Amino acid sequence: QLLKSRQDINPSQACRVRSQDPNQRRVLDSATRQRRLTRQLEALEKDNFQDDPHASLPQLVKRLPQFDESNESGKRRKKTRGDHFKQRFRKNFQTLLEEEDLSVSEGPNYLTAFAEPSKFPQRHFCAVCGFPSNYTCVSCGARYCCVRCLGTHHETRCLKWTV
Amino acid sequence: MSTLVLDNGAYFAKIGYSHEKVSVIPNCQFRSKTSRLKTFTANQLDEIKDPSGLFFILPFQKGYLVNWDVQRKVWDHLFGKDMFKVDFADTNIVITEPYFNFSSIQDTMNEILFEEYQFQSALRINAGSLSAHRYFHENNSELCCIVVDSGFSFTHIVPYCRGRKMKEGICRINVGGKLLSNHLKEIISYRQLHVMDETYVINQVKEDVCYVSQDFYKDMEIAQLKGEDNTVMRDYVLPDFSSIKKGFCKPREEMNFTGKYKTGEQILRLTNERFAVPEMLFHPSDIGIQEMGIPEALVNSINNMPEEMQPHFYKNIVLTGGNALFPGYRDRVYKEVRALAPVEYQVSVVLPQNPICYPWEGGKLLAENPDFEEMVVTREDYEENGHYVCEEKFDI
Repeated sequence: QLLKSRQDINPSQACRVRSQDPNQRRVLDSATRQRRLTRQLEALEKDNFQDDPHASLPQLVKRLPQFDESNESGKRRKKTRGDHFKQRFRKNFQTLLEEEDLSVSEGPNYLTAFAEPSKFPQRHFCAVCGFPSNYTCVSCGARYCCVRCLGTHHETRCLKWTV
Repeated sequence: MSTLVLDNGAYFAKIGYSHEKVSVIPNCQFRSKTSRLKTFTANQLDEIKDPSGLFFILPFQKGYLVNWDVQRKVWDHLFGKDMFKVDFADTNIVITEPYFNFSSIQDTMNEILFEEYQFQSALRINAGSLSAHRYFHENNSELCCIVVDSGFSFTHIVPYCRGRKMKEGICRINVGGKLLSNHLKEIISYRQLHVMDETYVINQVKEDVCYVSQDFYKDMEIAQLKGEDNTVMRDYVLPDFSSIKKGFCKPREEMNFTGKYKTGEQILRLTNERFAVPEMLFHPSDIGIQEMGIPEALVNSINNMPEEMQPHFYKNIVLTGGNALFPGYRDRVYKEVRALAPVEYQVSVVLPQNPICYPWEGGKLLAENPDFEEMVVTREDYEENGHYVCEEKFDI
């Protein structure tokens, strides 16, 4: 095996780093691959990838003295309502959807409006460069288009984090 | 008695009095790393000198209003003395909601409009209904139309007949502007430069540089060519907020095809990302979302309608929403629907001048309509009868 790889040129150098021995190469099964895909899709729904810049500030800073004393009495009435709202309405989307209990109601609703899977076959693109791909990584199932992209994939992403 | 029309979108709020012009304002709060104490609301975005790593706080989640704290803060700002100076006791409000809005959210909206803000009367309606109203106003002879509203959170395809929406035909594709921007961030971060924090900047990139291709595989082949032959490739100059305030796309004459640029600007080189990202609207399966694309869902939705109405729907397809602004969007939708529709039907796809404000314009027309008084629910009505009267009158 070593003899063969010495004769090859650069593209297979990256392959030499990884053991080609089938016993040592880790292969993910389809359930794990599906879970990874779902994780990736959920990550696309996020609003922000960084943390709140205000999260680490101490709470004391927010209680700065109010400059306008005259507004206190008018605002006080609104503030109690505001707190009331905060307690009642700080639910997230999933909770609200479950509360709606749509399986019970008849007729079209949020869940029935879901678009069905496409009748056309799925197209696959290389995970590294984005052009149409024909091949799949044996270990993790990612697509690639050429051996150079496979090398990049192995070095950077393949099995780098577990589900 | 003035009427305030508010198209309450997940990204932009389109707001204005019915006798004035519309303003398009971000419907969220921002926090910046540099100004640590202040939270910016809505259009205070212009005051931020350094929008790098901008943190968004959106009241909407998956297209539905869940975070009322943030929404109330944005509305306080919009209705207050800096912006529209609303005199609540003397104002009607027309406000939009997503399709199949949850009843708990609808009830909360009623409470907030009538009990907290105390508007004189209110009309809650779907944004697509306003678009349909506007369309029928211009085309009096048409009976049916189908509205494709492709916004920030998702895309809805809704058939309308004689001004009423047909609930059985409503189709929702969970691909919207947010997904496109996040996907673009991911692929740029993997291939070129780490930009996962820069939602605002990459959104700008998407709007400036992305387009919808008419022939996907041919464009892919062109994008793989090297040097001058690659007409798809563009260089985008990223802003550094000191000398370059806003990012822009380098014109082709200035592009350097061989070697690197001499100046110190940060450049993104975009080839297939330009058209692969909007392609997700047409083929969500490209990324693994097992749903139909817009043309397929359109045809599917029309096929669920009664036979005799189908030709009318094909003749009146209206495209609205922010994603309709991609160059080539309308032509591509027409091409694909024409290929999928039966040959004897006539297909016509309409893209309005301003797809983002089209529902708002519909709201403006509705406010001037003589039937408007009967459609709204007044505050006295609500205080007597409660949520029930709103459920009856509003067709959400």
